[in-house]
Amino acid sequence: MKLDNEIATRSNKKIYRDGDACIKVFDADYSKSDILNEALNQARIEETGLKIPKVREVTVIDGKWAIVSDYIEGKTLQQLMEENPSKKDEYLDRFVDIQLSIHEKRSPLLNSLKDKMNRKISSGDLDATTRYELHTRLEGMPKHVKVCHGDFNPSNVIITPDDEAYVIDWAHATQGNAAADAARTFLLFSLAGDNATAEKYMSLFCRKSDTARQYVDKWLPIVAASQSVKGKPEEREMLMKWASVVEFE
Amino acid sequence: MKKNAYEIVDSVEKLEEALAKVREAQKQFATYTQEQVDKIFFAAATAANQARIPLAKMAVEETGMGVVEDKVIKNHFASEYIYNKFKDYKTCGVIEENKEFGIKKIAEPIGVIAAVIPTTNPTSTAIFKTLAALKTRNGIIISPHPRAKLSTIEAAKVVLEAAVEAGAPEGIIDWIDIPSLEMTNLLMREADIILATGGPGMVKAAYSSGKPALGVGAGNTPAIIDDTADILLAVNSIIHSKTFDNGMICASEQSVIVLDGVYKAVKKEFADRGCYFLKKDEIEKVRKTILINGALNAKIVGQKAATIAELAGVKVPEETKILIGEVESVDISEEFAHEKLSPVLAMYKAKDIDDAFAKAEQLIADGGYGHTSSIYLNTVTEQEKLDKFAARMKTCRILVNTPSSQGGIGDIYNFALNPSLTLGCGSWGGNSVSENVTIKNLINVKSVAERRENMLWFRTPSKVYIKKGCLPVALDELKNVMGKKRAFIVTDQFLYTNGHTKPITDKLDEMGIVHTTFFNVAPDPTLACAMEGTEQMRAFKPDTIIALGGGSAMDAAKIMWVMYEHPEVDFVDMAMRFMDIRKRIYTFPKMGEKAYFIAIPTSAGTGSEVTPFAVITDEKSGIKYPLADYELLPNMAIVDADFHMTAPKGLTSASGIDAVSHNLEALASVMATEYTDGLAIESLKNIFEYLPRCYDNGPNDPEAREKMANAATMAGMAFANAFLGVCHSMAHKLGAYHHIAHGVANALMLDQVLYFNAAEKPTKMGTFPQYDHPKTLAKYAKAARACGITGKDDEEVLDNFVKFLDEFKERIGIKPTIADYVPDEKKFLETLDEMSENAFDDQCTGANPRYPLISEIKQMYLNAYYGKNSKADRV
Repeated sequence: MKLDNEIATRSNKKIYRDGDACIKVFDADYSKSDILNEALNQARIEETGLKIPKVREVTVIDGKWAIVSDYIEGKTLQQLMEENPSKKDEYLDRFVDIQLSIHEKRSPLLNSLKDKMNRKISSGDLDATTRYELHTRLEGMPKHVKVCHGDFNPSNVIITPDDEAYVIDWAHATQGNAAADAARTFLLFSLAGDNATAEKYMSLFCRKSDTARQYVDKWLPIVAASQSVKGKPEEREMLMKWASVVEFE
Repeated sequence: MKKNAYEIVDSVEKLEEALAKVREAQKQFATYTQEQVDKIFFAAATAANQARIPLAKMAVEETGMGVVEDKVIKNHFASEYIYNKFKDYKTCGVIEENKEFGIKKIAEPIGVIAAVIPTTNPTSTAIFKTLAALKTRNGIIISPHPRAKLSTIEAAKVVLEAAVEAGAPEGIIDWIDIPSLEMTNLLMREADIILATGGPGMVKAAYSSGKPALGVGAGNTPAIIDDTADILLAVNSIIHSKTFDNGMICASEQSVIVLDGVYKAVKKEFADRGCYFLKKDEIEKVRKTILINGALNAKIVGQKAATIAELAGVKVPEETKILIGEVESVDISEEFAHEKLSPVLAMYKAKDIDDAFAKAEQLIADGGYGHTSSIYLNTVTEQEKLDKFAARMKTCRILVNTPSSQGGIGDIYNFALNPSLTLGCGSWGGNSVSENVTIKNLINVKSVAERRENMLWFRTPSKVYIKKGCLPVALDELKNVMGKKRAFIVTDQFLYTNGHTKPITDKLDEMGIVHTTFFNVAPDPTLACAMEGTEQMRAFKPDTIIALGGGSAMDAAKIMWVMYEHPEVDFVDMAMRFMDIRKRIYTFPKMGEKAYFIAIPTSAGTGSEVTPFAVITDEKSGIKYPLADYELLPNMAIVDADFHMTAPKGLTSASGIDAVSHNLEALASVMATEYTDGLAIESLKNIFEYLPRCYDNGPNDPEAREKMANAATMAGMAFANAFLGVCHSMAHKLGAYHHIAHGVANALMLDQVLYFNAAEKPTKMGTFPQYDHPKTLAKYAKAARACGITGKDDEEVLDNFVKFLDEFKERIGIKPTIADYVPDEKKFLETLDEMSENAFDDQCTGANPRYPLISEIKQMYLNAYYGKNSKADRV
């Protein structure tokens, strides 16, 4: 395995290309179980028939855990949107369609979105009152079993030269309520400061999935709270504002 | 304030322990008397009341929400009003008794209550729920809100300590010290009932716990100000309510909908009283402050108007009472249309009252289903408008000219609305209760119901005239007493052409009573025939109807009587089957308003002259309508044997044996009384003695004819009150399917039915309180002995009785089996299943002492067909 062609660097991992393979090498202190879980998630999603890079191998390279999967040739929707601003709406439309096609899938052994959210609300540094409100809110949400990507944003969708779409990065995949997944995407756009696209995305998602806006909105405090666990200081103020709401009494 | 040390409940394990302790304490508490409980209730209410100010201060300090002075009122309300309202309520032991009806209501505690307490009313709700628990001998565990846990727990301690001091078991009230949803859920799962006050998530959690929940939902109260409202009262009431505890009562007004005509005046009054109308750009700023992504901003709840304005970057005077946004949309996407739990109010202009109602409906749909709505109008002139409002609002409280915060919790602005801090929202709000929750929702009521027997009756025509040759005397009073003028006679062609109506018409002529005769009644009278008679009746307008004939003429006349008096009636309704004639769904129309009804039988058997029954056949559908109601009782029956003298042999025996079956069924009926038994036995004796003589001697035995005439009428009286049984059920269908004369059909089934009813181990008994065990064998034996039948025991008497009946039937020319009358066996077998099921559903089945299975009816038919009656064959 050659690690000389680095194609991306993230805060705690590096991604290399070696021919038709893509090697994601994690930092040495990265949780082993998280890495194995990511590979397992990816394997489970493969079984749903969605177009995604296939896992080839989980291995250790120079003492670091790595996941080897198919390399997908192409550009991300993020890149395409930036390169062709006039076609952004068209890309966004396709982006939502892809997300809806994911939500149609079922994968009974995936982790539960609700459990994950509950864990994240508990493990953040939110005050007791907010945690209680959010736990209660989450408890009241309908329990579904749709496949949710969990980090669905345009940089995780690759369009190949044959115009086929591949979704990558399944580390956060769960099964649960699709509205939560949409709320997460809305939040990601908003955090990136692109409110106009966030709004456009939201209306598209609600229209195409025949979902009430309020229903997706109800998830926003929960996904905001779970995002705050990642603890980026520059995002914190907005996330806390979104999370500090109460249910009517 | 803390006096005692309590175990800290901060984990699931600790909560399990706490639950066990409260449960133990509650077991002891459940044995307390009303006196002990009332003493505890008094002491606890007193202590809570005395602590009202420190608790209010503590709540505001801890939560940073609301107004101390208003929380004092809430604490005061939760102790004083609740105590006052419920102090005399019985909650222990027998709370209600009615000896006559044999019913006793006993109150029992439910067990352990899980109480979820909100941040908005942390002390008053705790006081309310703990006091209610004490009054009902329940244990209670409180799950406070993390933001208000100290004050909620303090309130619970105050109540607990006073209660224990007054004798309550130690630990009857407990709480979670460090609340988490996990523990709240566990508590709700483990408790016996849930009193959940909280948002939709909490209410949902309560309902999904699997335990009965008195959860309450969110409010979004709209207040309409009508053109006719007292504006001064309306506006100031709304301000008073909306500012109360900074708008944190869930019943508080969230929107005000003002009719166009008074909009200006209302706006001026709001402004004059210190409310601030937000300008266009300020409205937008406040919108983004009160709601975040459609959810209520925690920071504004229970804050002053000025504080909220400041958060929004709007400058308003410090003493501003309410921030008012004049908005147009009632859609959920409008932030102002939501519940705001703060002194922020939406104001809408309605072009008319219907527009106002439509807006209010939408606001309720936005988030206040089942809670509260409010209207201001002139109640003297606008009741109709109010009724319409009440009809349209899907809310469980509809308040009129009342500040909704203080009004919704009851007993302050209306003294019949129960005081409560837990307001039920009905099924619209996902609740199991729709009223203000009170102590009555926290007890189990046991009903101790002793067996009681049904009242029975004996009803018969008010005049029954009896004697051979009595007709002219009996009719005399038509003129002399009643002053009747027009008589309508109903009879059949045979009787008419043979001059049987002549004695009647002669007497009527003599009295100068105008009369006409309808003589077109055929056997098994049809609806068409009855209609024809009714037409003539309508044209003739009689004040007297005289029915002359056998069952057919008398039944047809009864039906004509009904249609003449009540042209609007529907036979399907009137013929509806009933289990108990007193509880029947259909109320029979009042009879006798137009015409007096006289029945004169010409054969001895049907009894229709004294019964409340009539059968009519719809010739188009073939459906038989059996009508039964005491309204159908004739007013007068004339039993004059002169009319019976020439009855032919076949008619004499068929009607005579019909009377035998009437007697035997009335005797066996679950509704039999000594009155009907006496008549039936005497009637039976006479029939056995005189029917053969009538049969043999025809017109030459006036004594036998008269005995038979009376015996048949007596049998009629017996079954008019005791009703019939399965023999008639089967005979009705046998007659209908195979054209066998009614009396003969009964005769064919009699043996089977006697053994069927006499069974000491029946498959199923008839359902009637008086019929407490299978006892028909004894009844039959008693009647048989009275008729001279003997035997060493009841069973042998019955055997001999059946033998006697068989001989008796033969003696009067009735053949022994159905096969004798229905030689086509194949046809009989083809109709058998349908016939059995229809016989089962016949009205007569209901009074039978043995409840028949359809298969049993079928077997009886088969036995009767083939003449099988050996012990082994019997059903």
